Amino acid sequence: MIRRRQALTAWLFLTPAVLFFALLFFVPIGNQLLTGAYGSDGVSFVGLGNFTRAFADPEVLHSFLITLAYAAGTLVVGTAVGLGLAVILNQSLRGRTLFRSVLLIPYLTSVSIIGLLWRNILDPQVGILNRLLEAVGLPGQTWLSTHPLATIVGITVWSGAGYTMVLFLAGLQGIPGLYYEAARIDGAGPWRRFFAITLPLLAPTTLFVSIIGLISTLQQFALPYIVTGGGPGNATSLYAHRLFIVAFNDNDFGYASALSVLLLIVVLILSLAQLRIGERTDA
Amino acid sequence: MPSFNRRSFLQLGLGVTVLGAVGCSPAKPAAQKADSRTFTIYWNAGHGYRAYKDVIDQFGKDHDLQMNWQKFQWPDLTTKLTADFRSGNVPDLVEEVSAGTGTQYGLAGNVLALDEFAAADKEFGFPGDFLDQAVVARQYEGKTYSIPLHLTANGLLFYNKQMLSAAGFDKPPASWDEFLEVAKATTKDKVSGCALNSDPSYAAPYYSQQKVDFSNVGAKQFMMPADGALQAMQWMQDLIYTHKVSPAPVATTDYSGPQKLFSARRAAMFVSGPWDIGPIRQGSPDLDLGLAVPLTGAVQSAAMAGAGLMIPAKAKDPKLSWELITKLAAVKVELAATKEAGMSMPRKSWAADPAVAADPNLATIAKALAVVAKQDVALSASGKAAQINELWKKAYQQMIIQHAPVGQTLDDFRKQAGAAL
Repeated sequence: MIRRRQALTAWLFLTPAVLFFALLFFVPIGNQLLTGAYGSDGVSFVGLGNFTRAFADPEVLHSFLITLAYAAGTLVVGTAVGLGLAVILNQSLRGRTLFRSVLLIPYLTSVSIIGLLWRNILDPQVGILNRLLEAVGLPGQTWLSTHPLATIVGITVWSGAGYTMVLFLAGLQGIPGLYYEAARIDGAGPWRRFFAITLPLLAPTTLFVSIIGLISTLQQFALPYIVTGGGPGNATSLYAHRLFIVAFNDNDFGYASALSVLLLIVVLILSLAQLRIGERTDA
Repeated sequence: MPSFNRRSFLQLGLGVTVLGAVGCSPAKPAAQKADSRTFTIYWNAGHGYRAYKDVIDQFGKDHDLQMNWQKFQWPDLTTKLTADFRSGNVPDLVEEVSAGTGTQYGLAGNVLALDEFAAADKEFGFPGDFLDQAVVARQYEGKTYSIPLHLTANGLLFYNKQMLSAAGFDKPPASWDEFLEVAKATTKDKVSGCALNSDPSYAAPYYSQQKVDFSNVGAKQFMMPADGALQAMQWMQDLIYTHKVSPAPVATTDYSGPQKLFSARRAAMFVSGPWDIGPIRQGSPDLDLGLAVPLTGAVQSAAMAGAGLMIPAKAKDPKLSWELITKLAAVKVELAATKEAGMSMPRKSWAADPAVAADPNLATIAKALAVVAKQDVALSASGKAAQINELWKKAYQQMIIQHAPVGQTLDDFRKQAGAAL
């Protein structure tokens, strides 16, 4: 009787969350799956046709490959930058609270603002960055024309570095100072302490950062849309941008739904793989 | 102190919720008009002229309507509208991106054919008082899917009189050879002789000047004849990479890059349409702006441009939407918008007005309108225009921004566009 009452209570409290997930998460996913089985007219049933079509679509394959490159670049560079900043600002430096706060500002700023800001900064003719380069005698660059994807990676890293830093700072503050003390007594230098203590003990944080980062980068849409519109050519047309073009430009919601379901599957697989790797390495 | 158990907490929570819903709901102010409705308009951000605002505000007052005038950049307007058509929750009136967009939506059943409204409203003067080219481009199989709001030509030559004069030219270039000569002479340290656009639609005057048609849907052909297309696009590419008289444009969703360079006196010339007159006047009022007729390559040619007005098929009250169209496209409003922003209009009676006839810029625009290339209405009717334009954008940016080989890129585009049809 007590168990039944406990179960009832549990369900009572769980119901809002279950309803929330069902209505806002599982129902839309089911709807996407269903829509993905229909053609561009929204009426003709094509079954798995839209899904198989994606594997032979050169534009989709291109967008998927550059998304992987973008995700890899952002994860590697972003993690390194975030970790580096965290290590530096974990020291007892003067003004470190101010630096931490300033570094977090880009993360708290709207992506639209960031996109417009960098679009203006990077403009080869009237942008401030080339003016600064010229002022110190360096030639101006066509950032968004010659290295568009790398530039988008750079902007992403810049905007997310503060958040990654905060996560790593939390991880760093969880490492007992005793370990460093013992290592110092054993004669370990700063690099040795970093690679032998800091890095291994930050493995759970690193795993968390990489999973969250991977999920968000694979779904990246707004930044390249605002900065380059997916161009030049289709050099920054990431997967989510291609999906958007298929839906809102080509008006093919069936195919777009299939692409979104495929993205969901890829994100799930990669996230599970990362978790499994984390378990194996005892992260 | 009373003891609380789970049940009493639930009762308390329920009580608070009910009280909040009933007792704390805002009282209806006596002054609020009970039947005030909302009328939603989607508009281009660059066309938010005072002349239109006045009409819209007055319309709201006359009909006791809350006017919800939403302004977007063209790509965002298209996205919003597509989502609206999908959901069935549509605005009451929409500014059409370009001639043919209304046809595309109309054939899919999303916007209304307006012929019956026009026929019943003789005073409005449609189509009799409108120039044929603006009307025909919005018709398919005897139905008209939008009413022209602006009629403009992309291909006008904007030039800085002072810069050309300093380089020894007392008149603007008229041919491609002359254009290149002026561009070379005016290119200096931080000033480019000309500026090309990252938006592919701005290539239209150049290829139409080599007698190239963007599409021939009946024959499933694009950018033909091939030798003319190659010549036009190679010439544009050479302006940047061989002659170095234009900076490579930056890939962006914003089409105003060349205008901004020109206004900042960083470019001596650029090719565009009347919509750039207003921003230049506003941003650089002391710039000595010259406006010249389209260049002559194999022929003199411009590309027809200009927005229209369309009514979504599921609009709440299409008659009301039509009434607003007639007010926005009235001659006196056209004249007010022209005075305000230099925009050219589709009515014959507008062109005949003394204020228009006496304006040197508008006379230049009229000459450009006389040489606009014919549009392929079948492309819009195919329902594939947006998809093919996206392919063209990719090809154009590859050639102009990424310096891809012109011949190969055009061939790839033709294959992809043909397959999309």
